[in-house]
Amino acid sequence: MHSRSAISVKPSRWLPGWLQAAFVPTWAWVAYGLMVVPCILVIPMSFAGEDQLVFPPRQFSLDLYRKFFGSVVWMEALKQSVVVASGTAVLATCIGVSAAYGFVRGRFFGRSVIGFLLFSPMLVPAVVLALGVYLYFARLGLTSTTLGIVFAHTVLTLPFVVVTSSSGMRQIDVNVELAATMMGASRFVILTRVVLPQVWPSVLASALLAFLISFDEAVLTWFIAGAGTATLPVVMFSSLKSEVSPIIAAAATLLMTTTMLLSLIIALLTKRASDE
Amino acid sequence: MPPEGGIRTRGRALNASQSNTADGNLFWFVVPALILMGLIFLVPLGYVFYYSLLVDGRFSTDGFVTLLTSGLFYRVFITTFEISFLSTAVSVFLGYAVALHLSRLEPRRRIIYMGMVMLPFWTSILVKSYSFTLILGRRGIINSVLTYLFGDAARLELIYNRIGVVIGMTNYLIPFVVFPVLANLLAQDRNLRTAAEIMGARPLRIFMSITLPLSIPGIVAGALMCLVLSFGFFITPAILGGRRDVMLSNLIDLYTRETLNWNLAAATGVSLLLITALLMAVLSRLPGTRNAFT
Repeated sequence: MHSRSAISVKPSRWLPGWLQAAFVPTWAWVAYGLMVVPCILVIPMSFAGEDQLVFPPRQFSLDLYRKFFGSVVWMEALKQSVVVASGTAVLATCIGVSAAYGFVRGRFFGRSVIGFLLFSPMLVPAVVLALGVYLYFARLGLTSTTLGIVFAHTVLTLPFVVVTSSSGMRQIDVNVELAATMMGASRFVILTRVVLPQVWPSVLASALLAFLISFDEAVLTWFIAGAGTATLPVVMFSSLKSEVSPIIAAAATLLMTTTMLLSLIIALLTKRASDE
Repeated sequence: MPPEGGIRTRGRALNASQSNTADGNLFWFVVPALILMGLIFLVPLGYVFYYSLLVDGRFSTDGFVTLLTSGLFYRVFITTFEISFLSTAVSVFLGYAVALHLSRLEPRRRIIYMGMVMLPFWTSILVKSYSFTLILGRRGIINSVLTYLFGDAARLELIYNRIGVVIGMTNYLIPFVVFPVLANLLAQDRNLRTAAEIMGARPLRIFMSITLPLSIPGIVAGALMCLVLSFGFFITPAILGGRRDVMLSNLIDLYTRETLNWNLAAATGVSLLLITALLMAVLSRLPGTRNAFT
């Protein structure tokens, strides 16, 4: 810290010795526990077999996974989740990367208003947007179609794609693009042949982020998905509302592992992008 | 990597070297996003307002009158406020401790501990809600330990009631307190604390009269963010709450799917949107909060 003075020989204490030694860490560890335990508890539970309410699990079994992969409902949901998340990732990345390029390099009329519009899905309560999309899709006949869900998810993930990919674009040298312009390249050629090869880590990161958010999304999908188009989170939500089936532990672990793996890759890609 | 300022200057040079039309061309790169946002975001929001004023096929504000005079809406509204404020208070209390703890770690260790704060950020709310049913349930982990130690009488009702909802929401909200408060604590001038120490102030006194008052902007920013988020909670009250913990979002779901009253659903949605917008407006007016979230 640059503001540290030469006088500060020992680290200053904020609370009395015994309080500092015990109270704040205990208090903080309650919070750490509350944050971390619910996130990782499902992993041991998913290997516990049928008798899942006993902790710690008495036996190790893959029964729940066998049931999960043997169940038509869960497998259909998993397939649907992958299809929707892939579609969302492709659509949101194409639209979002293009918008990010326009924003980073362009100075046009209404730029800040459009920027606010692109970020507003983060500000609106999910249920309100879900209701609006439901009413609108009911009129269009898009309710419980995969296409409709992909469109809705794309709106939700677009702000994240724009932020992630434009942070990469801000760091590259604009003179390369200037050179390409002088040699007669169009803006589209510059984006695809000059910019994208330089910023691919952040573009890939934003695509994965879009996949991740779509794969996890429950509220919008709950409103607009039908019986045949329910995603994994929707099936989890409806089964958690009615009976709590032990298979959920296996589903939750799969959902969580996917999320963790993807966010790790995203973190590595964005770190790489900012290091360069 | 050239500094940010350098890029911006060169960006301006690029703009100057080209005609306005070449620059205007870049607008077309934003158009697909604009079309999507217009069709799948603005139009649906318009539909919510439209349906909130559409009663039996004609334009009327009856929906809002019905809501304001209905006992159900009033109860749900009060419940939403109670749950939101309670969860926010608990989250600020716990989040402050985490921020305090993190601010005193050396940067290298802080990154490792930050991982624990980021974990709930990246975990699906459904996974966490399911875990809470295992932890808090009648035969869950906490009750198993309690009955093992103290017998059957020690069983606690921790789920399908207010307690369950608040615990579940706090888990989600704590990181939103930690980030602004931590940013604030790290930005505080160490010399103030050193000066107080030299003057002979006890550590508790230093905390109460320097650290805590200075961190109030961070606390307010975090608390408002929690309030904004908690008003829109849907999954957690549906899974961990009981019949008396229905929040505004769940009421919208009920009107949409169970009673098929789209007018009342939309009117409730407009109310929720207005409350959130009001809180957001307060949040964006606060000094120094922008940096904490953007």
